[in-house]
Amino acid sequence: MYWLALKTLFHEKGRLIITLIGIVFSTVLSLTQIAMYLGMMGNATSILRHVDADIWVAAKNIQNFDFANPFPEERINRVNAIPDVVWSDKLILTWGFLKLANGGQEQVQIIGFNPDSGIDVPWNILAGNPEDLKSGRYMIIDKTAEQRVGRLELNTIWELNEKRFKLVGLSEGIKSFTTSPIVFMSYNQAQGFMTMTGRKSNHASFIVARLKDKGLSRDVAETLKVSLKDNDVFTKKDFIYKTVMYWTVQTGMGMGFFLTAILGLIVGGAIVGQTVYANTMEHLREFGTLKALGARNSDIYKVIFAQTGISAVAGYTIGSVLILLAKDGIEKAGVSLYLSAGLFLSLFFVILLTCLLSAYFSVRKVRTLDPATVFRM
Amino acid sequence: MTPILELRNITRIYGEGDNRVIAVDSVTLSLNRQEMLLIMGPSGSGKTTLLSMMGCILRPTDGEVIIDNKVVSDSDEDMLPDIRKQYFGFVFQSFNLFPSLTAVDNVELILRLKKHDRKKLQADALRLIERFGLAKRGDFYPSDMSGGEKQRVALARALAGDPPIILADEPTANLDSKTGLDVLRHLKGLAVEAQKAIVIVSHDPKAETMADRVVYLEDGKIKDK
Ligand SMILES: Nc1ncnc2c1ncn2[C@@H]1O[C@H](COP(=O)(O)OP(=O)(O)O)[C@@H](O)[C@H]1O
Ligand SMILES: [Mg+2]
Repeated sequence: MYWLALKTLFHEKGRLIITLIGIVFSTVLSLTQIAMYLGMMGNATSILRHVDADIWVAAKNIQNFDFANPFPEERINRVNAIPDVVWSDKLILTWGFLKLANGGQEQVQIIGFNPDSGIDVPWNILAGNPEDLKSGRYMIIDKTAEQRVGRLELNTIWELNEKRFKLVGLSEGIKSFTTSPIVFMSYNQAQGFMTMTGRKSNHASFIVARLKDKGLSRDVAETLKVSLKDNDVFTKKDFIYKTVMYWTVQTGMGMGFFLTAILGLIVGGAIVGQTVYANTMEHLREFGTLKALGARNSDIYKVIFAQTGISAVAGYTIGSVLILLAKDGIEKAGVSLYLSAGLFLSLFFVILLTCLLSAYFSVRKVRTLDPATVFRM
Repeated sequence: MTPILELRNITRIYGEGDNRVIAVDSVTLSLNRQEMLLIMGPSGSGKTTLLSMMGCILRPTDGEVIIDNKVVSDSDEDMLPDIRKQYFGFVFQSFNLFPSLTAVDNVELILRLKKHDRKKLQADALRLIERFGLAKRGDFYPSDMSGGEKQRVALARALAGDPPIILADEPTANLDSKTGLDVLRHLKGLAVEAQKAIVIVSHDPKAETMADRVVYLEDGKIKDK
């Protein structure tokens, strides 16, 4: 009966095209929404995920990674007092204004770290070496910032809040949720920027620590919560979760993406359901004839489901290819798309299921079709 | 020789209460192999209802349908498709061909349904089409064929899988008299050459002259004439 499914599917090209448009529409809309959401969440947690630390200490009531507040850096001693800590370090996250060649300014996110510790920030180095940041006004900027600040050439001098910094390196693909360019520099230099915004010196934004055993993360975090009453202490997983939940739930952004993705599925499902149903109704006499000639309901269901399934596979493939072709253009416009094999596969099953469910009304029509009526049609 | 199909006191009632219609009323009838039986009668006399019960498409309210010495009227609902597949070919007034399939494919579909030998599907479908004088029309879609051609495709389809009984409800009603005669001749040929049992419901006087036996139905009852 799959034979019949294929023959009739390709004979009715007009309807096939409408079905495919519906599925392509669903695929493109849901896939971009989910990929954009995942891309944003990926950016929002990129440093958090990359730093190989098990424990994150932040200022009290922090909402997410980007909204860091300073606290006294000597609290690192409490962290070091824990025997399970292998190493710990301080991090600074603050903001500055980079003066551009055209006279304008661009707000940048500044990450200050100690290049001697094993913190491995920044990663994906295109040029230069984080070690080069150690002794002075040197910085590494992520290459994706070029869209915002213009060409980044090594050893050029830039003004950051009126201080002159030399560009000694480039990383690639490190972004934050805010989309502000990220500038890496030494901890001491970054601390200077915090002081400028009216904070006392010797403050840090985060203290990170690596443990002997990741499995101890939760216990150590609980212990530290007691000794660091004026801070929030997270395991790496909890801080990632907190950050993702902030952007997803508290800003309502997640709901926005979710609703658009669902809308895409519903509209696509409705189009597919409608065309499959119209097709079934148009062939009701023939299906009835088949039943009279001895076909079982299941034989005819197979035809309907096969046609729907083939349309779903074809439409999904077209939609996915369109997105892969458009990916570079979309990312050039500053939108990160996270597209993985897992995402393609999961969404495929969702779309396939939507299409098969939308064939339900057609199947019901066939089930109740009485072959005795074919003599009267 | 035992009849291939027998109806014993078969009755069909539609609806209930005020809407109750006795469409077929205690009909007893048998059909022999190689016989062309014609059922005639005015509109609404129960011909289609009777034919549907013969073909195991419609359950009788009362009475027995016996095929090949087996009582089938009390079979499970689930068994009926297989019984129809094995014993019957149907021909309809309005052809009922798949518009998206060519003539040959319409026949091949039924061969596939009846689990015909895969290697011979196309050759056998083509042979059936040729048998009804449609050698040059095999690749045509129903929309590109005349009524007579379509009904001959329907005959080829009814013969697909070699069922012993062919039931035709007003097969010439939508055809002009010449093509109608052609279709009737083909049906007669099936009885004579292919040893099929044929039942035709028709008002067509030409059918009357060709049939081996004629049964008149009035108000659901067989009437002697
Ligand atoms: N599905 C049905 N429900 C109710 N009444 C029906 C149905 N089918 C047929 N009838 C009635 O049964 C009688 C016989 O119909 P039918 O078998 O179609 O006669 P014929 O084929 O001789 O015209 C008619 O009165 C018709 O109205
Ligand atoms: Mg009738």
